[in-house]
Amino acid sequence: MLLTVSAPAAAQAPAPAGQTGFEAADAAAQEDPREVVGAPKGAALAGPALEARTEEVAALLRCPVCQGLSIADSPASMATKMKARVRELLAAGYDEEQILAYFERSYGEFVRLEPPRRGINWLVWLAPPMALLGGLVLVSRVFMRPKGVSVAPPGPPAPSADSLPSRDALPDDPALARNVLRIREQAYGWPGGVPPAETP
Amino acid sequence: MNRRVLAVGLLVVVPLIGILVLNIGRDPHAFNSPMIGRPAPTFTLRALGGGEPVSLAALRGRPVVINFWATWCVPCYEEHAVLVAAAREAGDSVQFLGVIYEDDADRVADFLSRQGSAYPSLMDDDGKTAMAYGIYGVPETFFVDAQGRIAAKYTGPLHREALAENLVLAGGGKS
Repeated sequence: MLLTVSAPAAAQAPAPAGQTGFEAADAAAQEDPREVVGAPKGAALAGPALEARTEEVAALLRCPVCQGLSIADSPASMATKMKARVRELLAAGYDEEQILAYFERSYGEFVRLEPPRRGINWLVWLAPPMALLGGLVLVSRVFMRPKGVSVAPPGPPAPSADSLPSRDALPDDPALARNVLRIREQAYGWPGGVPPAETP
Repeated sequence: MNRRVLAVGLLVVVPLIGILVLNIGRDPHAFNSPMIGRPAPTFTLRALGGGEPVSLAALRGRPVVINFWATWCVPCYEEHAVLVAAAREAGDSVQFLGVIYEDDADRVADFLSRQGSAYPSLMDDDGKTAMAYGIYGVPETFFVDAQGRIAAKYTGPLHREALAENLVLAGGGKS
């Protein structure tokens, strides 16, 4: 149980082994994660593998004091402490799911940056691909429509280029032709009513 | 055809708008703690100013009020007086505990010497206790019943009435 006397500094620095070790450990004791998520299911990690895995798991946890950042990305002090906790749990052999469940117990599902695939959360995972699939079906149906079946109701046929008189055509009547040329000269500024050479 | 398009469109859009409207102004952090009704995570923490470390497990048998706070948190100033007064009034029937969140011991000691204190302030240097309780910000206060279960949680600065109401849920105080 508790010691009746304890040095206040005991918990700040690791106590030298053998002397006040019990006191120091006791002064900062926490519940055993085993009570929350059971015995470790994974292999205990160490060294570079531990560091790499810490980053991966930390990237899945939301920093509670930030806006939409993972604890891997956040410089906040609390996020750093949570990352240290993740490292500790990985070193003790807890697997990813156990660690996520450990934090979820305290912070709720919100702490997971990826909604766990269960219950109504399936909507979040399935709705976007379903919508995409639906869109593809819709688009393919429009494009695969058999030729000749028109979407728009048939309207008056568009005038074709052949049916319009060309701009330098003149009526057969010479008097009428002269008038047309004069009008073209006035209206378009063409000298003599003769259209300028086509410029591309 | 157009009616069908409209119907399908409405079928998709109306529920989405419904969800948005229902959740407007809702803080994603402000949901009920998943811990209510569950065993309070145990801890043994060093008390500020020396004395023996305080263990939650050893306090079983009477209600415990655990207040997470910091001196940099302005609302915590307001609630400090409320908590101290309530702790003095409750005497031994309820144990009050302060857990320091992201703050240093000297500043807390200075604050307490000026503002008064009536219960232990515990140092949670590695943040593990705050993590175990799922603290999103300070102040947050947990009301643990005599069996060691979390009976209630209050987010934000406590006032007299809220403190009394939640204490009753934990089986303490006068109903």
